[in-house]
Amino acid sequence: MPSEVINSVGIDIGTSTTQLIFSKLTVENRASSYSVPRIEIIDKQIVHRSDIYLTPLLSEDVLDAEAIKKIVEKEYEKAGMTPKMVQSGAVIITGEAARKDNANLVLNALSNAAGDFVVATAGPALESVLSARGAGTDKMSLERGVIMVNLDLGGGTTNIAAYDRGNLLGVTCLDIGGRLIKTENGKITYIYSKIKKLAEENGIKIEVGSLAEVGSLRKLTSIMADILAQSISLTPKTSLSAPFYTNNGKELIDLSKIDAMTFSGGVADFIYHPESSEGNMFKYDDIGVFLGEAIRENQYFKQIERIEPAETIRATVVGAGVHTTEISGSTISYAEGYLPIKNIPVLSIKETEEASSETIISSILTQIPLFKPEGQIEQIAISFSGLTKNSFVDIQNLAEALIEGTQEVIKSQFPLIFIIENDIGKALGNALNVKLKNSKPVICIDGIRTLSGDYIDLGEPVLGGRVLPVVIKTLIFNS
Amino acid sequence: MKLKTKLFGHNYEFKSLCEVMAKANEEKSGDKLAGIAADSAEERVAAKVVLSHVTLEDLRNTPAVPYEEDEVTRIIQDGVNETIYKEIKNQTVGEFREWLLDGTTTEAMIRRTSKGLTAEMIAATAKLMSNLDLIYAGKKMPVPATCNTTIGLPGTFASRLQPNHTTDDPKGIMASVMEGFSYGCGDAVLGLNPVDDSVESVARVLKEFDEFKNKWEIPTQISVLAHVTTQIEAIKKFDAPIDMIFQSISGSQKGNEAFGVTPQMLEDGRDIVLRRGTCTGPNVMYFETGQGAELSAEAHNGWDQVTMEARTYGFGKKYAPFMVNTVVGFIGPEYLFDGKQVTRAGLEDLFMGKLTGLPMGCDACYTNHIKTDQNDIENLATLLVAQGCNFLISVPQGDDCMLMYQATGYHDMPALREVFGLRPIAEFDCWLEKMGFSENGKLTPLAGDASVFLSK
Amino acid sequence: MIEQNALREIIEQVLGEMNVSGMNAAPKTAQTGVAAPSTSGSVAVATKTTIDDGFIPDVTDVDIRKQYLVENPVNGPAYAELKLHAPCRLAIGKAGARYKTDPMLQFRAAHSAAQDAVFSAVDTAFLEKMGFFTIQTMCDNKDIFLTRPDLGRRLNEEAIKTLNEKCTKNPKVQIYVSDGLSSAAVAANVADVYPSLVQGLKSYGIEVGTPFFLEYGRVGAMDQITELLGAEVTCVLIGERPGLITAESMSAYMTYKGTVGMPEARRNVISNIHKDGTPPVEAGAHIAEVLKSMLDQKTSGTELVKA
Repeated sequence: MPSEVINSVGIDIGTSTTQLIFSKLTVENRASSYSVPRIEIIDKQIVHRSDIYLTPLLSEDVLDAEAIKKIVEKEYEKAGMTPKMVQSGAVIITGEAARKDNANLVLNALSNAAGDFVVATAGPALESVLSARGAGTDKMSLERGVIMVNLDLGGGTTNIAAYDRGNLLGVTCLDIGGRLIKTENGKITYIYSKIKKLAEENGIKIEVGSLAEVGSLRKLTSIMADILAQSISLTPKTSLSAPFYTNNGKELIDLSKIDAMTFSGGVADFIYHPESSEGNMFKYDDIGVFLGEAIRENQYFKQIERIEPAETIRATVVGAGVHTTEISGSTISYAEGYLPIKNIPVLSIKETEEASSETIISSILTQIPLFKPEGQIEQIAISFSGLTKNSFVDIQNLAEALIEGTQEVIKSQFPLIFIIENDIGKALGNALNVKLKNSKPVICIDGIRTLSGDYIDLGEPVLGGRVLPVVIKTLIFNS
Repeated sequence: MKLKTKLFGHNYEFKSLCEVMAKANEEKSGDKLAGIAADSAEERVAAKVVLSHVTLEDLRNTPAVPYEEDEVTRIIQDGVNETIYKEIKNQTVGEFREWLLDGTTTEAMIRRTSKGLTAEMIAATAKLMSNLDLIYAGKKMPVPATCNTTIGLPGTFASRLQPNHTTDDPKGIMASVMEGFSYGCGDAVLGLNPVDDSVESVARVLKEFDEFKNKWEIPTQISVLAHVTTQIEAIKKFDAPIDMIFQSISGSQKGNEAFGVTPQMLEDGRDIVLRRGTCTGPNVMYFETGQGAELSAEAHNGWDQVTMEARTYGFGKKYAPFMVNTVVGFIGPEYLFDGKQVTRAGLEDLFMGKLTGLPMGCDACYTNHIKTDQNDIENLATLLVAQGCNFLISVPQGDDCMLMYQATGYHDMPALREVFGLRPIAEFDCWLEKMGFSENGKLTPLAGDASVFLSK
Repeated sequence: MIEQNALREIIEQVLGEMNVSGMNAAPKTAQTGVAAPSTSGSVAVATKTTIDDGFIPDVTDVDIRKQYLVENPVNGPAYAELKLHAPCRLAIGKAGARYKTDPMLQFRAAHSAAQDAVFSAVDTAFLEKMGFFTIQTMCDNKDIFLTRPDLGRRLNEEAIKTLNEKCTKNPKVQIYVSDGLSSAAVAANVADVYPSLVQGLKSYGIEVGTPFFLEYGRVGAMDQITELLGAEVTCVLIGERPGLITAESMSAYMTYKGTVGMPEARRNVISNIHKDGTPPVEAGAHIAEVLKSMLDQKTSGTELVKA
């Protein structure tokens, strides 16, 4: 069976560390030669892991774009990759780093240095998913048939994702991390504002400039561990935890039970391997070791089976580099010469709106104004499930409705892009081409589910043009 | 050799032994398709009468394909023990039939005589046997063989666990594997017919099977039924764990060429698995056969499908297989028209294989364009076990979703064991008890719960 | 993404069904094995048998991937999840070493559909609706068709005459439909595959010849048809030998300038076309692309480079 390799990169610029990984995704036609092709990603292999760099900062609030770019260039060279060779992947700025003033500037600077692929600013929701995927929690949950939660404990935030038999139950993110208090030579040099407040409320005295006391820090981090336990329903929520949720305060849905947990992120090693701090609680000049110990010893966490994932500190970057790319269905239709297209906003027709031609048309027409920021239509992708459109007649009616609803796009310079879940992409593409008399470029791909608010990147076709690599940047979860 | 007889006063004259052999067969659509079948029921019996007077020597001297033209013929003829042959060559087929059935003829005597036989003699004998004759004689000829465990010992009845999947999905395959073992299937072999028969994929599945076998300490054999050269490559390239080399074989050189197989390939396969396989041996080959294969490849040389099948066994014997599986009923109604013909073919094959000295089993099966049903196939399975069949095929509820045919099911194996008072292969039987799936040869309430394998 | 969501729905359904079918109701029979029908409680008066309105549920509606009938499983949900990956008849439980009644009946129903698919004829009203006229091979009935594949590869005299009269000669693409081993496949798929295929070709600017239906047809008959009509590319949509999972599976066989007696390696095939395999509409679109590449590359079979 012919196969082809897609090079993918993941770049994670986090609160405390910056990392890259390169992976090779092997796509192969898994169908026999007597069948319609069925192309899948059959193997994902990490081929290069960068060193773990401290994220370079110019000041407390400004990332050092130049230094970050240098790191990226250096690691590309080490991996034997050029930006041209990389076809997919993601750059993400995570945790507190994403709130730095120049985060977007850095992303733009990197898109040139890293290659012609997608650049994503991860929201906290996406980070949670990426780190859990990198840790392999989703897979473990599926294989064991149980409910599992991953806590990715970074420097600034803790990203949480819960899975039930491989299916995402929900995500959340809290401002709890190992570098929210920093020390130097036994003295406290930085305290994050919310942590400072938490300490005050609990009568724990810590001040910048004062001595870092083991006792107070143990007390404080054990409260932080309790907050995390509350966030995943291990113990009832109290008013303590409310201020710590990021992402507009979105909490995780109530979990009736958790069968097992994984921990990733920089703090995870101190949970699984207390010996790694070599007895020095201030080994990294922060409270990472304390937080690890607090979680390890926490009465609520102790009740749940703890599994060490394959990736801990690199979980997020592995998630970004290995688990962001999907493959379209294998029978699709697209006009030549328009791909790749990046960062396409998705206009989604709800399943209930697919009921009739009229509702399809009105759904598109109502939403199109949202995609005219400057009064002009921009490039959009229209997505729908198509799950009820299976007969030839259905598809003809669907094509006619789509044409009627998208007149504004048809008149614009942008190709018509449809993203469909059901395996009807090629047939629908043909119907559209015939009805439009081949006068408008149409890209019609299936096997992909997206939602309104997503952005999507369509890569260059692979395996003889049969399939497209697709990266969906889901910015809103739990909505 | 006389080729003429009278029946009810009518003359019946045959031009050749080839014609007699074809017309003496019980009715088969394949012989009709080949244009060699008896024209009437009476002519069929006349041919049987003539055949009953033919000597074993006549048959030795009339191989279906000439010695010079065909390596299968050469392998069979060169393998005959001439001393033993001389002792029996003057017997007629009728006499030889009676000798086989005779109460004083023992298993050991048959095993010895077998070495003096050629495929044509064996086929001729089958043609003079009724169904119960075939069962009665077959039961007298147990043929054990040893790979990791020993199959075919009296008192045992084994099965192949066949976890085929429409897309070779590893999870789907393993789901079926687990369930099969939980019903006590798979003591003969855990064997997959792959959809993707690339070397990589074959090696991948074998590794998965090996891992499962080792994790649960299952005393059995594993196999992926790809072409012999693919399996050799899988060992060479990927160190694939293989207990047995599988291959479909045929009763003529031309037939084997249609399968893309030569004796050298089989030697090479046997050689590499003996040196690098995961098995104990000495029996490390797994062959599949079936009436009609030669005709469908136009490799029958004008002979009937029963004779060609017997020749297939003569060829396979050279490689001392662990199991030979006659796939009866898969080939289609143009060869075996209905349940009656399928049943007959299954009993003939088992008898002929056993008389050849092969550890025989059967895939009692049918496609949906044959006029038969599951009842017929359950009947055949029951008859085969009565006949001393070493193993049958087992698939979930008898429905193979990948090969799109029906065979015997996981449930049928323990049911047949219970009916006949038979047990699985001894080590496997112990394993089933250890796992809690059976007790004293009977399924426990836990049997059939594949989720046992997911509990740790 | 899509699979995960589909999976979730399925699992939810499975769990729902498991609750009904005894996973939770297990303790009742846990100690005693299968409880025998109750014979206790004396029935004083023989009650009159009444006939109730309403239907017994259709056994063929059961999705066997989701069915879970094992009693008191050790880890039922995990296996229910695993078996979603297999289309075969797993987790069907047992009655002794035999089948439970429901799966036994499901199997018999599936086999009945498969047999009917082989042994019944395609509805003439359907063929008329599609605008296909009918011709025959040299087989006169199903039994001959099944036992004489050679005759199923040759047109009878009448068929040759009809084709000469009714068909456009030397078409770029000749498409026809044949029953093969499943009439049910024709009925289930042709109304979607055929127009989708024609539309696909139209989108490439390729015209097709006159369609028709060949009764008692084997694949090889397409070569005689190709020669007779002088078609550049020929495609037959033909019923596959049914299995129990579906009796409605259809194949498309395709050749570039096929000839009678040519090696099989010159033929291409797309199989497994049915609603749970390759969806018929999408299959039609895919076949159109394969036919186009045959015309572009002027070859078929193993030499065809698949786009």
